[in-house]
Amino acid sequence: MKRRVELRLPSRMEYLGVPDVVLAEVGGELGCARRRLEELGTAIIEACTNAMEHGNHLAEDLCIEIWLDLAEDLITVTVLDHGPGFDHAGWRPSDDVMRQRGRGLLIMREFTDHLEFGRHADGRFLTRMIKQMAPEEEPSADGSE
Amino acid sequence: MKIRERKRDGVAILEMSGKLMGGPDADAFDETLKTLIHEGCRNVIVSMEKVSWVNSTGLGILISGYTTLRKSGGELKLLKVSDRIENIFIVSKLYTVFASFQDEDEAVRSFS
Repeated sequence: MKRRVELRLPSRMEYLGVPDVVLAEVGGELGCARRRLEELGTAIIEACTNAMEHGNHLAEDLCIEIWLDLAEDLITVTVLDHGPGFDHAGWRPSDDVMRQRGRGLLIMREFTDHLEFGRHADGRFLTRMIKQMAPEEEPSADGSE
Repeated sequence: MKIRERKRDGVAILEMSGKLMGGPDADAFDETLKTLIHEGCRNVIVSMEKVSWVNSTGLGILISGYTTLRKSGGELKLLKVSDRIENIFIVSKLYTVFASFQDEDEAVRSFS
């Protein structure tokens, strides 16, 4: 089973939650564990924040595009924007816990199994994340995990 | 994001709801804290019970608020953080900064 769900959103912050809602819906239908869907959803929100803010500079006439590719136990997410990209190869996590910005990449990396950046054939900047899905576990009869 | 404010035993409780994601949210939160400090209320509990998600920009808002209150001799503590948001605090190591409670009575008492 392979399916793709595509979304196209104007670069407005109030739409950041839309892909998260769609992921919860389609992932829930597939029986994916809620925790994994929430982790991937959090990573998608970060990718979309970057795409809207740094890629499209919040220009409403520029849309970001999100593809959710659903396989049996794997979800691949692609986020496309019109920005120049950034030096992801040179990125290192900061040790300053109190910094006000710069956690987006860390969150994307920690909440997915694979994270890559590149350029689509049409020139748009591309963020791709892959996460293994697990089925939601039925609670056992004695209530234990 | 919406902010509902109430006070209990001299502690301000800010009940946030919606998504915590920066932009106008940052200004609204900052303005609320400045007003509280001006009124002499420097101890603040941020209730996250009705916050559906936080992004990295939203984390920055909380850090900024924490720093503002510390500088004025107060403190910012968190209440009823969901598992989803707690995960983000763990990954970003912010759980080492913010005191977090599930029980409001306990959170209020922690200031005395």
